[in-house]
Amino acid sequence: QFTPSSFLRIGQLSNVDLNEDTHELETEVPRQRPNEIPHNEKLLSLKYESLDYDNSENQLFLEEERRINHAAFRTVEIKRWVICAMIGILTGLVACFIDIVVENLAGLKYRVVKDNIDKFTAKGGLSFSLLLWATLNASVVMVGSLIVAFIEPVAAGSGIPQIKCYLNGVKIPHVVRLKTLVIKVCGVILSVVGGLAVGKEGPMIHSGSVIAAGISQGRSTSLKRDFKIFEYFRRDTEKRDFVSAGAAAGVSAAFGAPVGGVLFSLEEGASFWNQFLTWRIFFASMISTFTLNSVLSVYHGNAWDLSSPGLINFGRFDSEKMGYTIQEIPIFIFMGVVGGILGALFNALNYWLTMFRIRYIHRPCLQVVEAMLVAAVTATVGFVMIYCSRDCQPIQGSSVAYPLQLFCADGEYNSMATAFFNTPEKSVVNLFHDPPGSYNPMTLGMFTLMYFFLACWTYGLTVSAGVFIPSLLIGAAWGRLFGISLSYLTKGSIWADPGKYALMGAAAQLGGIVRMTLSLTVIMMEATGNVTYGFPIMLVLMTAKIVGDYFVEGLYDMHIQLQSVPFLHWEAPVTSHSLTAREVMSTPVTCLRRIERVGTVVDILSDTSSNHNGFPVVESNPDTTQAGWVAGLRGLILRSQLIVLLKHKVFVERANLSLVQRRLKLKDFRDAYPRFPPIQSIHVSQDERECMIDLSEFMNPSPYTVPQEASLPRVFKLFRALGLRHLVVVDNRNEVVGMVTRKDLARYRLGKEGLEELSLAQT
Amino acid sequence: MAPPRCLCRAPLPALALALLGLASAAGPRQTPALELAQELAEELWSAGLPGDLPELEPECRSLLAAFAEGSAALTGCLGRRARPVRLCQGCHGPYRRLLAQYGSIARAVGNSSESHNCAKSILTSDRLQIVVTLSEFFNETWEAANCANCLKNNSEGLSNSTEEFLDLFNKSLTCFEHNLQGQGIDLSPNNYTEVCKNCNETYTKLNDLYNHLQRLNRQGGESAHSAHLCIDVEDAMNITRKLWSRTFNCSLPCSDTVPVIAVSSFILFLPIVFYLSSFLHSKQKKRILILPKRIQSNANLVNIQEKYS
Repeated sequence: QFTPSSFLRIGQLSNVDLNEDTHELETEVPRQRPNEIPHNEKLLSLKYESLDYDNSENQLFLEEERRINHAAFRTVEIKRWVICAMIGILTGLVACFIDIVVENLAGLKYRVVKDNIDKFTAKGGLSFSLLLWATLNASVVMVGSLIVAFIEPVAAGSGIPQIKCYLNGVKIPHVVRLKTLVIKVCGVILSVVGGLAVGKEGPMIHSGSVIAAGISQGRSTSLKRDFKIFEYFRRDTEKRDFVSAGAAAGVSAAFGAPVGGVLFSLEEGASFWNQFLTWRIFFASMISTFTLNSVLSVYHGNAWDLSSPGLINFGRFDSEKMGYTIQEIPIFIFMGVVGGILGALFNALNYWLTMFRIRYIHRPCLQVVEAMLVAAVTATVGFVMIYCSRDCQPIQGSSVAYPLQLFCADGEYNSMATAFFNTPEKSVVNLFHDPPGSYNPMTLGMFTLMYFFLACWTYGLTVSAGVFIPSLLIGAAWGRLFGISLSYLTKGSIWADPGKYALMGAAAQLGGIVRMTLSLTVIMMEATGNVTYGFPIMLVLMTAKIVGDYFVEGLYDMHIQLQSVPFLHWEAPVTSHSLTAREVMSTPVTCLRRIERVGTVVDILSDTSSNHNGFPVVESNPDTTQAGWVAGLRGLILRSQLIVLLKHKVFVERANLSLVQRRLKLKDFRDAYPRFPPIQSIHVSQDERECMIDLSEFMNPSPYTVPQEASLPRVFKLFRALGLRHLVVVDNRNEVVGMVTRKDLARYRLGKEGLEELSLAQT
Repeated sequence: MAPPRCLCRAPLPALALALLGLASAAGPRQTPALELAQELAEELWSAGLPGDLPELEPECRSLLAAFAEGSAALTGCLGRRARPVRLCQGCHGPYRRLLAQYGSIARAVGNSSESHNCAKSILTSDRLQIVVTLSEFFNETWEAANCANCLKNNSEGLSNSTEEFLDLFNKSLTCFEHNLQGQGIDLSPNNYTEVCKNCNETYTKLNDLYNHLQRLNRQGGESAHSAHLCIDVEDAMNITRKLWSRTFNCSLPCSDTVPVIAVSSFILFLPIVFYLSSFLHSKQKKRILILPKRIQSNANLVNIQEKYS
């Protein structure tokens, strides 16, 4: 006898199995209570929708495309280039703004604290300095966290996971809004000034994407301003291309790495890629880094010098002094292994912490308190480390921005303070470039240990902040330590320059945490400005990724998973060939007739239990072979289209009544994009419910379909490569059997014990 | 072809020897530079160089000799004042003179005909270009020492602030010396309380002045290089600070470890309280599972499946 559970060939979660058992009863007995479980990583949230990358080729669209002639297409092409240039310029300017404000505010803060410490060192009462530092940090971070937690929670974190999801085709609510940009920029400034173990580079990628999405639409829904330009680009397909250009421009402004930016977009988001798009994205990246460079050089007083291409500047790595020999390559690979292990440890710790945060610290006020506590503790740890350190170094000119003397002799400074009492970017550069002997091993060891835990604790707080710089800093610290011990072991051979090892350590640590490969190699190479480092950096990143992947996955992928996002990877899980479309699809499908009653449409759309977004349109015909009727598939219509139709009351009866009936154009659909009103806001009177609505002009008459026997990898490939949102499953009579959506495909994942299935949940 | 080449090569060492000898024997009869130049010319002529080769004009020769003289003087000055560093105070005169001499070589283009110009023949007609190298070396040293910082704008003499600083520096050194004299030199190093007490005022003044100068300099300076004060001042301050805090052990900051530990452990304790309380009191967030509409729920389709299989 055939039972449902044996039909299901793959392992499922126990609570899902429970459901299956009670399934027969369900039709008669209403469910007593919703099945509640604590949050875990094996869920898919209903909150996330797909983007419509596939154009709906309905009659309106075809008419419009036919009307556009060759010259008009050329204008569209030119507009694309103009938009890319604007994306570059604005991203560069935003980066400049962040850089300048952070520099000034952080400078102010450190000067105040330094003066205070200097004062109390002589008189006694250093505990007040500690309190001052901790309070300053906590209050600045409080503001930064308040705006994120209460105004726009999606601006939290680095934003790279969100952009990755967007480019993958998932619509994260609010992710590319102007409000998000404002909160993100302010949040980053405040959290860096607040002294958290964070960087301002990751959020630049998100900022660039928001700028791109905003400019390409030629309007802002938040500001209620429509500039009536670029209307052609008001759809998901075009927007996606610009967002990938924006992400690239963001990377380029953050690291001064235009090629790295292009490759980042390619690595993270590119299932849809062509040469022209690549060239345009490269253009946007170049413009972005050039804008940042020229504005910053004017700001620093040496105009046209163009010496600061990115937010973080690794400084010059001279080939002569910092060159490497072939014997060092095994050492670099070993560092890659260490970076992979430490990165995996970082991710594992952060995983537990994030899980705890999702389960217990979900109220905004608690999140703000947590961020404040982390800020205060960061300051305290820094202070205690500086206080306990007896590592004094002579001051040489102004190489140290805020030299703290504390218990050192006059004319010397505390070398722990260069690492802790500074913005993380500056500390990284110091670790790369300070001459050998500037740090003693004890200082570096303690610093690495403390900063590792602080950075791990900080990532995932409700503040906007990136993880690039803290990772680089941890890596640079242990890399330098490694270099020092190497030169100690080899009795001071000349080739053990600690700065070089600091760079390799930084690459290894970053690679171990984020597991990016191609783009990170190029970003690091461009940031150091030394092409000969390409080879060792590549080896280090490769090793770090291999070693790290053995334990846990990358930080960004982990966070995507914890957010229950239906993320589609490059390919279907390898062992999924046994599954067919029949098992994957959702069924039964809510279908509409070609000419449907308005009341039915409204009822279907208002039904809260099924929030479907795409409806197959069918037409009943008498079956020729058998007796009865066959409801053959005629097309597919989206919820957003239906809503526009209802709003404009495009009913068959009305068309007959009024002679001056304006025909609905594609423009009406574009004007409503991207925020279509909910069905509740549309009023349909009782009389109108009886009217009929003709969908044939508006539906997509050629939706993609698959037969029931298609295997999962085949369905997956079609879905992923074309960026589909709905894939209709039909039988051999062209009758709709089921529907495959993103969540149906994303729920299969390769876990530790083979293929596992995620369950859907309301979040 | 071989004999002439030998001829050419032979006189050169002889020339150098002669030059050395002459330089040491130069009397006070004429200006030494001119005399040297003359001797050099004679030497060259007698060495059998073809007369039609215009090797060096007499005026160029005298310029070169003056430069050689000047650089020797400057080298001597720099060497003698290397430790304790008094470069800028003592050597700005020779440096300025050397600059002028080099300038006149470089500028001596206009006053002679185009075939003989000194700049070309002295500065750029061989691979070594020793004059250029020497002058670059002196310039770089001067730049690195940052002497311009403590000289007047026209670099004639020390600037007022530097004078003031050096005065104060001398005063504090005198103070140290004076106070140490009372005690034996063989006193244990921790027994310098007398010095610390009596010289505190001068030392603090000196320190403050130095910090003030540094701040002024940092504000005025536009690039990273000018962040240093001139080497004389820096070195003087270094010596004093080392004496003060290392040798005399005078700067003993009060360390208040107990309050710092108390405050920091209080702050470090807060997160533990926070996490524990939110773990215990906050309601754990639950997710509501949604039943997917799958084929198993549809009896008809299962039947179809059965029929097919």
